[in-house]
Amino acid sequence: MIMDLETVKDRAGPRQFGPGDDMPEEYRKAATRMIQFHANSEVMGGYLDKEFTRKAPSLDRKLANTAKVQDEIGHAQLLYRAAETLGVKTRDEMLDELANGEGKFLNCFHYPVDTWYEAPMIDFFVDGGAMRRQATLKSTSWTPYAHAMDKVCFEEGFHVKHGESILRELMQGSKATQERTQETFEVWWPRIIQFFGPPNDESHHNDFAQDVGLKTATNDELRQSFLNMYIPKAEKYGLEIPDTPRIEYDEESGRYELAYDELDWDEFWTISKNEYPGSKEQIGSRRRRQEAVEWVRDALDSWESEATGVATGEAAD
Amino acid sequence: MIWEVFRQEEPGDYHRHVGNVHAPDREMAKQFAQIQHARRMQTNSLWVVPQSEIGEVDAEDAAFGGTTDKSYRWAMTYNDIDASFAEEVADSEAEQREAARKRREAMEEADD
Ligand SMILES: [Fe+2]
Ligand SMILES: [Fe+2]
Repeated sequence: MIMDLETVKDRAGPRQFGPGDDMPEEYRKAATRMIQFHANSEVMGGYLDKEFTRKAPSLDRKLANTAKVQDEIGHAQLLYRAAETLGVKTRDEMLDELANGEGKFLNCFHYPVDTWYEAPMIDFFVDGGAMRRQATLKSTSWTPYAHAMDKVCFEEGFHVKHGESILRELMQGSKATQERTQETFEVWWPRIIQFFGPPNDESHHNDFAQDVGLKTATNDELRQSFLNMYIPKAEKYGLEIPDTPRIEYDEESGRYELAYDELDWDEFWTISKNEYPGSKEQIGSRRRRQEAVEWVRDALDSWESEATGVATGEAAD
Repeated sequence: MIWEVFRQEEPGDYHRHVGNVHAPDREMAKQFAQIQHARRMQTNSLWVVPQSEIGEVDAEDAAFGGTTDKSYRWAMTYNDIDASFAEEVADSEAEQREAARKRREAMEEADD
């Protein structure tokens, strides 16, 4: 019998539900939306990061970067599997949606990168922010999602430390290098703050996802804890926090008060619809790469159907 | 026919391999698994899988994790960076350190 929503809300807690439970459609859809978004972001983050392998100044950095990209694509695979367990969409459907521009993903991966100075913006700040969020998702109510987070979090420590190591190296470089890093940071800082989404009251899906235990922390809580940890880090290496948006630490509440209206929310909402010029560029370049290796997927599919005698249907893209 | 048995202790846990049973079909395998593997041990769920359906690759067939130096993909390598500022980064590093330790021990044993 399908569990009714009230029961779901009552029982909601860490790793409470799994494929053996008959979850109501609202839950399955909300969980699919969330995990698909997460999986898409791993793909698009991986594709973005891939650019840094070419830009990296040393062999060690190139090797570490390829290892990181490989991890990210692996995270995507784990997450598409976790999303499939909800029975709403297949992996092929989700990959198709990503290619045709319907699939949504994190704001920071809609901005094409072209310098090595951007590496720590992604690898330290964005991975660091993502890891804050992912650590809380170890307690999500959908068990296959939580299990994926166990492995993702195991791996991510390397990404964040490597990212910080790049930042440290740049900020110990020549004056010109430090200035370029600071300039790049100024471009990325507002995007990094927006990574955690709009202020709580403007987020559409937050409440339901929290009521049923899919999410265990609000955007605001995550952003606050992120700022608490990463502002001191930025300052430690000599980065200056930009004046816009205004940001003030309130000793009493222990909170960073942000002037949200100074952030470009038009751009944010354009991005969230995949309509930003960078969105089109990133989605398009990933789609073309995906098409270029279609023959590999075709070969695998025909091998599988020969082996099992069952047609596998359409290839991923 | 032999069925491998996986037991999950509590909701949300992983199913872990605990042994196997002889049984003529899936239904009987589930019954025997309950009796053999879930009578005293805390159990929330059991899986039974035909042994013949399991594929294996072991340390004799493969060099798991490669044979060249891949230290660049471990958090510990960046030891001039202090992970303690963020609990999740420190946890991840601790898990990686533990995994690397076990791996090293196994390799040393194999060398003896
Ligand atoms: Fe990742
Ligand atoms: Fe990462």
